[in-house]
Amino acid sequence: MIQFLIRRLILVLPVLLGILLVTFTITRLVPGDPCYVMLGEHATQASCNEFKARFGLDKSIPEQFVRYVFNIMHGDFGNSLKDRRPITLIISERLPMTIELAFLAMLFASIFGVILGVVSALNRNSATDTFTMLFANMGVSMPVFWLGLLLAYFFALVLKGTPFALPPSGRLSATMSLVPLTKVWGITDATGLKAFLLAMLSNSAIMNGLLTHNFALVGDAVKHLILPAVAVGTISLAIVARTTRSALLEVLGQDYIRTARAKGLPYALVVRKHALRNALIPIVTIIGIQTGALLSGAVLTETIFSLPGVGSRMVEAILGRDYPVVQGFSVVIALIFVFTNLIVDASYAYLDPRVRVK
Amino acid sequence: MKRILFVGLTAVLLASFVLSACGTPATEVPATEAPTSAPVATVAPTEAPTAVPFVGEKMQAPDCNFGGNLKAVEAVDQSTVKFTFCAPEPAFIAKVGSVEAFNIYDSDYLKETGGDATKINENPVGTGPYIVKEWVRGDHITFVPNPTYFGTNKPANSTFILKWNKEAAARLLDLQAGNVSGIAEVTADDLPTIEADPNLQLAPRKINNFLYLGINNTYPPFDNEKVRQAFAMLIDKQKIVDDFYAPGSVPATQFVPPGVKPGYTDGYVDTTYDVAKAVEMLKAENFDFNKEYTLSYAERTRPYFPQPTKIAQAVQAQLAEAGIKVKLSMEEWATYLPATRNGDKELFFLGWSEDYPDATNWYDVFLTGSSKAFGNAFPDIVERIQKAAQSGDPVERQKLYDEVNKLYAQHVPTIVIAHGTVNQAYLASVQNVKIGPYNENFDLMSTSDGTLIFSQDGEPVSLQCADETDGNSFRACNLLFSKLYKFTTTSIAEPDLAEQCVGNTDATEWTCTLKKGVVFSNGATLDANDVVASFSAGYDYNSPLRKGNSGAYQYFKDLFGPKVLNQPAE
Amino acid sequence: MPQRDNPYVIMVRRLFHHRSALLGMFLLGILLLCAIFAEQIAPYDPIVPLKDAKRRATPCIHLLGCPADKPQHLMGIDGNSRDLFSRIVFGARLSLQIGVATVTVAIVIGGLLGAIAGSGFIGGWVDDVIMRSLDVLMAFPSLLLAIAIVAVLGPGLINALLAIAIVEIPIFARVVRASVVSVREMDYVMASKALGASDLRVLFNRILPNSVSPLIVQGSLGIASVILSAAALSFLGLGAEFPTPEWGLMLGEERNSIFNAPFLVFFPGIAIMLTVLSFNLIGDGLRDVLDPRLVHGG
Repeated sequence: MIQFLIRRLILVLPVLLGILLVTFTITRLVPGDPCYVMLGEHATQASCNEFKARFGLDKSIPEQFVRYVFNIMHGDFGNSLKDRRPITLIISERLPMTIELAFLAMLFASIFGVILGVVSALNRNSATDTFTMLFANMGVSMPVFWLGLLLAYFFALVLKGTPFALPPSGRLSATMSLVPLTKVWGITDATGLKAFLLAMLSNSAIMNGLLTHNFALVGDAVKHLILPAVAVGTISLAIVARTTRSALLEVLGQDYIRTARAKGLPYALVVRKHALRNALIPIVTIIGIQTGALLSGAVLTETIFSLPGVGSRMVEAILGRDYPVVQGFSVVIALIFVFTNLIVDASYAYLDPRVRVK
Repeated sequence: MKRILFVGLTAVLLASFVLSACGTPATEVPATEAPTSAPVATVAPTEAPTAVPFVGEKMQAPDCNFGGNLKAVEAVDQSTVKFTFCAPEPAFIAKVGSVEAFNIYDSDYLKETGGDATKINENPVGTGPYIVKEWVRGDHITFVPNPTYFGTNKPANSTFILKWNKEAAARLLDLQAGNVSGIAEVTADDLPTIEADPNLQLAPRKINNFLYLGINNTYPPFDNEKVRQAFAMLIDKQKIVDDFYAPGSVPATQFVPPGVKPGYTDGYVDTTYDVAKAVEMLKAENFDFNKEYTLSYAERTRPYFPQPTKIAQAVQAQLAEAGIKVKLSMEEWATYLPATRNGDKELFFLGWSEDYPDATNWYDVFLTGSSKAFGNAFPDIVERIQKAAQSGDPVERQKLYDEVNKLYAQHVPTIVIAHGTVNQAYLASVQNVKIGPYNENFDLMSTSDGTLIFSQDGEPVSLQCADETDGNSFRACNLLFSKLYKFTTTSIAEPDLAEQCVGNTDATEWTCTLKKGVVFSNGATLDANDVVASFSAGYDYNSPLRKGNSGAYQYFKDLFGPKVLNQPAE
Repeated sequence: MPQRDNPYVIMVRRLFHHRSALLGMFLLGILLLCAIFAEQIAPYDPIVPLKDAKRRATPCIHLLGCPADKPQHLMGIDGNSRDLFSRIVFGARLSLQIGVATVTVAIVIGGLLGAIAGSGFIGGWVDDVIMRSLDVLMAFPSLLLAIAIVAVLGPGLINALLAIAIVEIPIFARVVRASVVSVREMDYVMASKALGASDLRVLFNRILPNSVSPLIVQGSLGIASVILSAAALSFLGLGAEFPTPEWGLMLGEERNSIFNAPFLVFFPGIAIMLTVLSFNLIGDGLRDVLDPRLVHGG
């Protein structure tokens, strides 16, 4: 098991280096000048030359890359070109928001997806099965941005004034405060990694609220995340439902299941004890792989619902030629993927011993 | 063998990563920024009892050859500042009262922070009616009244929250749901909904602005004046205004909007919509109808461009009626602006909102050839504009501008299309809503529970407005800082930090007397050195107080330039 | 010897008995009709604005009670005075073109890469390099990667489709590689090679036909995914250019109308959903029909 993990970890490094190289090259090939975005309609040639020199965009490209990799190893991702704030700071502000969204979406998708999948598999080819699968298929076929808009329309406009109304945008109500944990706990000397972790926790409204026993904050944050999470999670829900169904069907068709039933075990017990556990493997894999769809969906949903997460900032950065942010965020997102895949592979290996030997 | 090599290489890489990571500690990452409310002076602000002799500071240019107009800023005594210009500057008061770039900072505060935007954002210190309580990045900024505010009208509300949301529909919904008290940039299509809702009130803003179709006259066939004149006849401006602009907007009849005086020529109309005649003209000039022309624009809602994509498509369709093939190129703001300034675009949409009420903010910016966007400037126009800028006599200026307006119709450097009205909307329960061309009176609006929440279309970039140009930042800065003069809700500049500023006969010297007893939110007293420090930070490249955000301090160059002191050569 | 039914006939017959696939084919049929006969079905031009129409007018359907003297606009009029129904109909043609073209490119390139990698033709290390690079590609969320590629190439429909094709390549490469690898070791392949068939010939005659079924399944699902991605990119302004009647573009244009003219948002979204649904259902149906294991289980 350990050997397997080490082997996988080693394979991660060239992938990371490749990602760094790719993000670096992509942003350098982009046309246009970041200078003018920052200066608006009043930019001129002179102020831009000075701007370029100030932000180091005038050195040779290989030199820029080496510098960049070296800095990353020290945890220095550079500063955003837009407001010169350190990117690690921006990440500590934006990433918790996206993680909250992705987590809730994942929760929504997994729970309801598995339920849906089990229900259809157990009632194969009945009307329930067909309708459930059709519903799941519709979920996969819907454009996330459209679903988000419709949900906003229904819950924010149609249900306006009712107790079921949900806010159509924003992460918190205007009157809610997000006080940093350093202030609440009176920590003044945090630096480096400790400061970063504290910042990450402070900026997750849910974690912040839980740690400071401010449950109104938690409730408000969750309320604002329901619609986006449903919009993002619906696609994953459908995929999880489909995979659960086929995985369960496949397992139910196996000989050992027939044996168990022939032995007289009740069906429900058979499903619970044998089928589900073995069907778990592909389900877990799919849930892990869904991180990709969740982040993609997050980009569009964050834009529609005005959530200050990684996705919306990333699109802004690409459109605004904010090179450091595009690179920094790409690396972080890729890191998340790579390690999520690692965890998925590890749990996969844990559940299915055959994989370890490969 | 290969495996060993591979594993070995990776081990070496890993080791080097680990070593370098354990080496120099990572740059300190500050925890979430939460601007702490600045310490408040509880002592009544008066001059210090012991007489510390006042040492006046001064920013002085060696001569008038550096390319700009501001020669010196000098603190004559504790409350008097003298500005000296190279050429007459009749619009001085309007300029220093207009944009938030000319906020006055405490000189000690500037020395401490170096004028650095990141530091100022954490702890903004100003003389405005509000101070910042917290800035939740990406979500909202909370303001509370400044106890040391010197103005006679203290804020009528106890909390002001500035929110933002790019989606106009979501802003409106927030308003309808009562989550916010007011919203900016209401689209024309939403107006009927707001007007029909008894719980909402509409607040129009009359700001001089224009949308124009820019033509670069270095691209054939647009180097032919007749072709440009023909194009001007192909745009049905009235239909565009009717379809896409809010009520109160008007089509453009000459270069400047009606509100720019001197400048606007009463009763003058320069082109009429006439497709048949235009097509005839084009045919006479052997215009190539088979070629596809590119019309560029950027999708970014502005007061003058309320629905960019729709307006662009409408113009595309109108040109198609004449048989002209036009391809729309929707660009991103980033690639768009440098391309237009470099003269890369043959046809493009752009516009302008007025910064201050004077013709120099219109003619000088566009028609003197200061950018390559339109190709070659027209000497007969340039000559008259420069004369008018230096004259203080409105009658003489109007005569010159009348001539320019006629020449504009003949040369057609751009086709001005419309002047738009902007609307904001508020809950009907918000009292005392007054929207001026440049500002809203947030500090004087009141709500039943004392909390006023306003939603605009983007997050402020920083609170170091000397170095900013976007309206979203200016709205926040306006609450925190003060300038020598200010525009509240009218087009007349009112004294703010200055009792008054008086110019000499030819407007080359302006002497401003500051109000006494003004205290910053950190307790420091306002004196003339603060004015000198603030202006030299923005105007002098060698100033140690000039960290800023991007370091451009663009407005200083635009209004008192074109070059500033010690500016490095291109 | 008794006549045996052609396996393909059996497959097609099974497909027609699969309920959801049937629905998918029905929807696809409507789509194809719209795409092929767009000029006949659409009452107005999708691009030229109407002269006397009221902008953003709600739908007027004579059958449902709209007075006969008003011109009929089944889905209303959009923000630029164009008939929405006509635009949706022409959009069907565009979406089908987009889906098929992009997936074809992705299959050709991806299939080639996968075959080269899986066959061990050039050397085992080629397999590693190709698959690892594709892993790197797959490490990114597809939409973000497509956006990044478009940011480099510049916005526009062709560039967007190129970006989407690049993002889709790894999936097809994997499919082809998997079937190549699985077939490579099989007896009949070994037998062919023992009989003297060249590697290339084996590749084309034995291995590739085996990957046809998973490719068809993935292809159909791929078309669905491509249409969604193209709509997303157009929604963000990085894909189709105005005034093309692309559904995602129409949604993006009118997204602020959701609260005061929701029909402008509703119809393009439904169109996208039904189109993507049809390909998903067909793909799922094909997968059920072509997968021998599921047929015998349960």
